[in-house]
Amino acid sequence: MKTFVLVVNRLAWFVPTLLGLLAIVFFISHVIPADPAAFVAGENATPETVAAIRARLGLDQPLYVQFWRYILSILDGDMGRSIYTGRPVVEDLLSRLPATLELTLVTVLVSIAVGVPLGVVAALRRNSWLDHGLRVVTIAGLAIASFWFAILLQLLFSMRLGWTPLGGRVEGWGPEQITGFYLIDALILQDHEILLDALQHMILPVVTLAVPATATIVRFTRAGMLNALQSNYVLYETAMGYPRRLVIWKYVLRNALIGTVTQIGLIFGILLAGAVVVEAVFDWPGLGTFAVNSILSSDYNAVMGFTVIVGTMFIVVNLVVDILHGMIDPREVR
Amino acid sequence: MTERLGQLLPAGIGRRDLLKAAAAGGAVLGLPDAALAQRGGGRIVFANGSAFDTMDPHATFDVGRVAYRLNLYDGLMRWLDNPPQLEPWLAESFTVSEDGKQYVFKLRAGIKFHDGTDMTSEDVVYSMERILAVKKGAYPLFALLIEPGSTKTRDRLTVEFNLKQASAIFAATTHDIYVVNSALLKRNERNDDWGQEWIARNDAGSGSYILRRFDPARGFLAQRFDGHFKGPAALSEIDFRYVAEVNSRVLGLVRGDFQGTDPYMPQDQITRLQGDANMNVMEAESTRLFYATMHNQRPPFTDVNFRKAVSYCFDYDGWINNILGRSVVRNTQVIPNPMWGAPKDVAGYTFDIDKAKWHLQRVQVPLREITVAGMIGYEQSMQAAALLQNGLSRAGIQSKLLNEPWPVVSNKMRDPEQMYDMLFLWRSTYYADPHNWAGELLATERHRGGNASYYSNPEVDRLLAEALAVSAQARRAPLYEQVARIAAEDAAALFIHNTKWYGPFRKNVEGVRFCSIGDGQEMRWVRVT
Repeated sequence: MKTFVLVVNRLAWFVPTLLGLLAIVFFISHVIPADPAAFVAGENATPETVAAIRARLGLDQPLYVQFWRYILSILDGDMGRSIYTGRPVVEDLLSRLPATLELTLVTVLVSIAVGVPLGVVAALRRNSWLDHGLRVVTIAGLAIASFWFAILLQLLFSMRLGWTPLGGRVEGWGPEQITGFYLIDALILQDHEILLDALQHMILPVVTLAVPATATIVRFTRAGMLNALQSNYVLYETAMGYPRRLVIWKYVLRNALIGTVTQIGLIFGILLAGAVVVEAVFDWPGLGTFAVNSILSSDYNAVMGFTVIVGTMFIVVNLVVDILHGMIDPREVR
Repeated sequence: MTERLGQLLPAGIGRRDLLKAAAAGGAVLGLPDAALAQRGGGRIVFANGSAFDTMDPHATFDVGRVAYRLNLYDGLMRWLDNPPQLEPWLAESFTVSEDGKQYVFKLRAGIKFHDGTDMTSEDVVYSMERILAVKKGAYPLFALLIEPGSTKTRDRLTVEFNLKQASAIFAATTHDIYVVNSALLKRNERNDDWGQEWIARNDAGSGSYILRRFDPARGFLAQRFDGHFKGPAALSEIDFRYVAEVNSRVLGLVRGDFQGTDPYMPQDQITRLQGDANMNVMEAESTRLFYATMHNQRPPFTDVNFRKAVSYCFDYDGWINNILGRSVVRNTQVIPNPMWGAPKDVAGYTFDIDKAKWHLQRVQVPLREITVAGMIGYEQSMQAAALLQNGLSRAGIQSKLLNEPWPVVSNKMRDPEQMYDMLFLWRSTYYADPHNWAGELLATERHRGGNASYYSNPEVDRLLAEALAVSAQARRAPLYEQVARIAAEDAAALFIHNTKWYGPFRKNVEGVRFCSIGDGQEMRWVRVT
């Protein structure tokens, strides 16, 4: 029941949060002295042509009118048309979303699978050579520029060793689209060749994204573990003769994960909205490149649509994080 | 087999259409792989730096996305080779009326669209009206020249264009009248949208290749159209992929994932590819002018001595020889050197600070700090602005640099109040005629349009109008030469270099025919051995 109340409470905040986000992005993007109508019209267009396009797109209306119209159309489930491509923004976004989501989910899963155990080990062997080594690696992982690292990986594993593909989601044009998630589509179609191919294509972009994400998880897990290990209940359980493995992996880790789970939620959002560079280097047809092109061409509707999608997912992920907090520590939902 | 066909067919082309196409010319779509292999030709994967957002041939006009227009569609005429030659394409001939206002084109007989239907003059009329209605792509070329509803069919294969005024460049622009299948498009119109939503993802053309798959995030895949009026193309399949990152395009080319890529990359990458034994980096002098605007309506640029002083402040040799490694050619006036109508006797300006100071002393209006702009994302534009600032500083002219993205720049170009004092940019080839440069960049009527220098000279306007009113190249060429000389003497803008084209392909790619208008991306003659 308390979890249910928490969910309802968070959902109630969803609308004003999203509205605020939309207002900020809308007004900031319209303050830039760019004219999408001039961009659409091209280099040779006459002023009359540009004015006609501006009127057709409704860009000659006052800003508050444009914003109000946009909100109404959003409520109607319509994000408008991309000024640049002329297609519904929803269509453009949904065709790219699965690629980004798939990459993000796999990266987060890999980061958790690697980061949490390493964080635990680093805490248990505090100030050992292993801990110092992990500290160097994780700080390097956080400091490394993903653009440079991605190219380095390409040069080594794709160009020199020939072990991995250079870019793209699969060789050729991919499987018949069912969900847009190639791993899932390949499983549904029982096409093991494409499954393997898709996994191979994921290796380098996932490693590039997972290195800083894993480093963050290691650092937070280690700090949480050290904090929990100093608690009285650990001393008590140890004194009572509880097996050390049980104390560590069941009781200490559970308490140590609260900060880590919050970080994982943030990492998910950052990866979702910020994988632009990695998507560009690995020719990954996701939302990142689309967002950059939309910003460069002042495609307001597309930028707003991207914000709505990413903002919504970010809010949902935060909701999941809150629920997980409640499950890990029931005091959180009180 | 039926299922496979269903998967292969692009949306909008049904099995019935396919059967028609097969009857028309043996559509490749329906053939099993073995049969395809027998016909040979192979495939090419081409990495493109610009995204293919749409498949509508009337929605785009830029060179970056020219591949789908050239390979899926045909125009009335076609620009081919270098220097570009205007060849009859869908039209086998055309005539011009005495007053130069009526153009009558005769179509070839037996041209088929991809769905097997015959192309007629009705399709040409529909395509012209569609360009005027959707107001995108090549629309500015025709907007001032053709009234909606004025294009008529005379018979099944004859179409007449009635211009508002005589225009010697009209035939040169018919390359961009890509003819669409009007019946197919009308069937897919929604709310009088001229089929825009449908054609953005589908194919209604007659070109050498049939669209098979399209993904805006990825590119397009097209299969040879055996029923093309020029005969089947050499390759059986073309795969144009959007690869945003230059480094990824280069690495993919070196690795063999791609067989070709576009030339828009820094010179060091071109040099790197030239040193690879598996590459064939084709090279040709193109017709893409790099220049800087000067705001002729705003002091101190209103004074010709100030414009000349600025013109002497740019280190042309350092720019061409050192920064660009001799990959471009000095162009001293407004028309690219290889183009007819370009005068050969314009010495142009040199990097000479003493001369700059001499002219500066004769400026009659108050001096002030000037703004020199470059375009974000276009490295050469920003580099050139910085190089000029160095020269200006040595001559004693205060300046500040400003780099902004193209949407902001294009907006400011159309407003004389907002336009920068100077802006470095390119003028590409939209049609191979000197008017593409001299007319668009210098005519007073092109203020707020191509003439972002807001240059105005009645004598230049008169010469340009005269050049448009006559059709013979021999009579037009001296007029454009005169225009170019006057603009150079006036220092109307800072004319810097003409671009060279570098076409990076794998060594096993043959038959590339470069044309500055198509950027070497028309694939019908290309073979992969």
